[in-house]
Amino acid sequence: MRLQVKVTGHLVDYFADSETLLPDGATVEEALSGLGIPTDQVGLVSVNGVAVNKSVRGSRLLSDGDSLMVMAPLTGG
Amino acid sequence: MSWQRQILRVNLTDSTIRAEPLNMQWASDYIGERGLGTKYLWENMDPEAEPMGPDNVLIFATGPLTGTSASTSGRYAVLTKSPLTGAIACSNSGGKFGAELKYAGYDLLLVEGRAEEPVYLRIEDGDVSLHPAKKIWGKTVWETEEWIRQEHNNPMLKVATIGIAGERGVRYAAVVNDLHRAAGRSGVGAVMGSKNLKAVAARGTCGVSVDDPKRFMEVTSRMKDMLAGDRGTRGLTKYGTNAMMDTMQEFGGLPTRNFKEVQFEGYDKVDARAMLAIGADGHRNLVTNTACFGCTIACGRISHIHKDHFTIVNRKEYWHASGGLEYETAYAFGPVVGIDDIDACTFAGYLMNEHGIDPISFGVTLAAAMELFEMGVISTEETDGIELKFGNAQALTVMAEKTGKQEGFGEVLGLGSRRMCEKYGYPELSMTVKGQEFAGYDSRALQGMGLGYATGNRGACHLKHDTFEVDMEDQTGSGKAEPCKASQDWQAVVDSSGLCMFTMGAWGPEEFAEQLDADSEGDWTVDRMTESGERIWNLERMFNMAAGLTSADDTLPQRLLKDPAPSGTAKGRVNELDLMLPEYYRLRGWTDDGQPTTETLKRLGLG
Repeated sequence: MRLQVKVTGHLVDYFADSETLLPDGATVEEALSGLGIPTDQVGLVSVNGVAVNKSVRGSRLLSDGDSLMVMAPLTGG
Repeated sequence: MSWQRQILRVNLTDSTIRAEPLNMQWASDYIGERGLGTKYLWENMDPEAEPMGPDNVLIFATGPLTGTSASTSGRYAVLTKSPLTGAIACSNSGGKFGAELKYAGYDLLLVEGRAEEPVYLRIEDGDVSLHPAKKIWGKTVWETEEWIRQEHNNPMLKVATIGIAGERGVRYAAVVNDLHRAAGRSGVGAVMGSKNLKAVAARGTCGVSVDDPKRFMEVTSRMKDMLAGDRGTRGLTKYGTNAMMDTMQEFGGLPTRNFKEVQFEGYDKVDARAMLAIGADGHRNLVTNTACFGCTIACGRISHIHKDHFTIVNRKEYWHASGGLEYETAYAFGPVVGIDDIDACTFAGYLMNEHGIDPISFGVTLAAAMELFEMGVISTEETDGIELKFGNAQALTVMAEKTGKQEGFGEVLGLGSRRMCEKYGYPELSMTVKGQEFAGYDSRALQGMGLGYATGNRGACHLKHDTFEVDMEDQTGSGKAEPCKASQDWQAVVDSSGLCMFTMGAWGPEEFAEQLDADSEGDWTVDRMTESGERIWNLERMFNMAAGLTSADDTLPQRLLKDPAPSGTAKGRVNELDLMLPEYYRLRGWTDDGQPTTETLKRLGLG
């Protein structure tokens, strides 16, 4: 399946493209792994604009055409 | 012990200068910098004093680790009673001035009274003198710094100064050191101006000694390795704090057009990647990064403006590179005023440094003025012909300069958002807490941030607590009181250490404790430091209560409590302060109306 991907902050150093291909039935966690983004660097993930909390990243299934947003952690400043 | 064990007391009314022993018991109980400065403020002034009167006290305080070989050890704080909020002000700055003050032999500088004529203070290795400042009164920050160095024929002097804004009482005037580092918030520069104190120049060669030098070197070397290995911290080096702009945009917490919206369509023209982008003619906004004293992160930005941009055409004095956009300045000159012109934003940043102004308060005040203008409440007759509309980059830069020089409508903007909105009869449009303007995080999307804003001892501030992680994970008010309280206490520790908060991505409490323990006498544990942080927070609260603030001041503007976020991941939400605040008071050991109980004060050694 094909996903639209956008990453923010310094995470662009890990993945700078706007889309990726993943096996059908992939979870959010698997998608992050496929993008090469370390999970400890992720602040929040949203799918189609809806936040996906850490606790359900491993079970939240993705579908073809989904829009995945991977946001860097916030640090103030 | 890296203390010089000496403070400097300067009374400007009678021109007396006196060195006094540092109260080591207070250093033990309040760590240093923010905490120690708060204790000295509490013991040396009446909290009911008029902020811009002679009875207010102005303190420059270093921390125990300031000036040591620990990474980021250039921090110092300026404390006073704020003319913007009427509450305690504690503004933290980097650069090199703090370390230099300590090297000159003083842990803390306490200024009281008011000079009859403008003066500046020179401190060189224990040789301290007051000098007439008539020749530099009316000069900019940049001119003043250069003039003082030339006057004393000493290019090594580090200068903390005010600009015209501070001289003329702009309620959010800053103290700027090293050209573009600032104790920016809460109007500490206006207090300095009210005392007729133009600048403090310091040079020292004393150095500092630590309690256990061998262990200190081992620990701080290891801590530097931790910073270097931390991926998030490396992101700060490459992108600066403005890397947060696109995250806030996507999250839907980017205050836009005076908080009417939470996402800005032009964000990617003023964010970190825009600063790095190379134009067709080879121009890039970002020139390089820069570091404060002893810092191994170097998040600071040095930028330059395109030579053809309207702001600097025929203004050669601005053709050089200077302090560039950070997240808060990019927000304050960008989304919150609806502007996507990176050169105009950069120029406004130059002007803030040059004239000594807090960019957050200026931008948010301008945003309210723009809303009032678009409502027809303010007209071009008052704004010197400027169309004060959202998105007007020229309005931003012209008003920044007018505010800096206190000309025309700049005098109105210099009042700050709350006083300006009250003047026009629309106090609800002021995006402030206790009169201080919000940083770039909307508390409908970041609930814990809203609680931190509402309970902030210096008013709306994003730097005195850290609820980002829990706020991103859950966008309700549930479970936010405890991390808000805990992080407020710990942030008070970090702010008192002499180190920078931007290390906190790599260093947890154990890492701070290890460094402080190697540095200072006695046993410094996380528990002891956390208790000190809570003590500091409560003493700040006591100062505010004594100054006349009440729990009614622990609130947010109606816009954030009643108007749902129009878009983003928190679409439809308002801030749930009513849910969070009672729990917060309970966790603090305060009464239902926000007063620290006798038991709490006794437990912390404050009663």
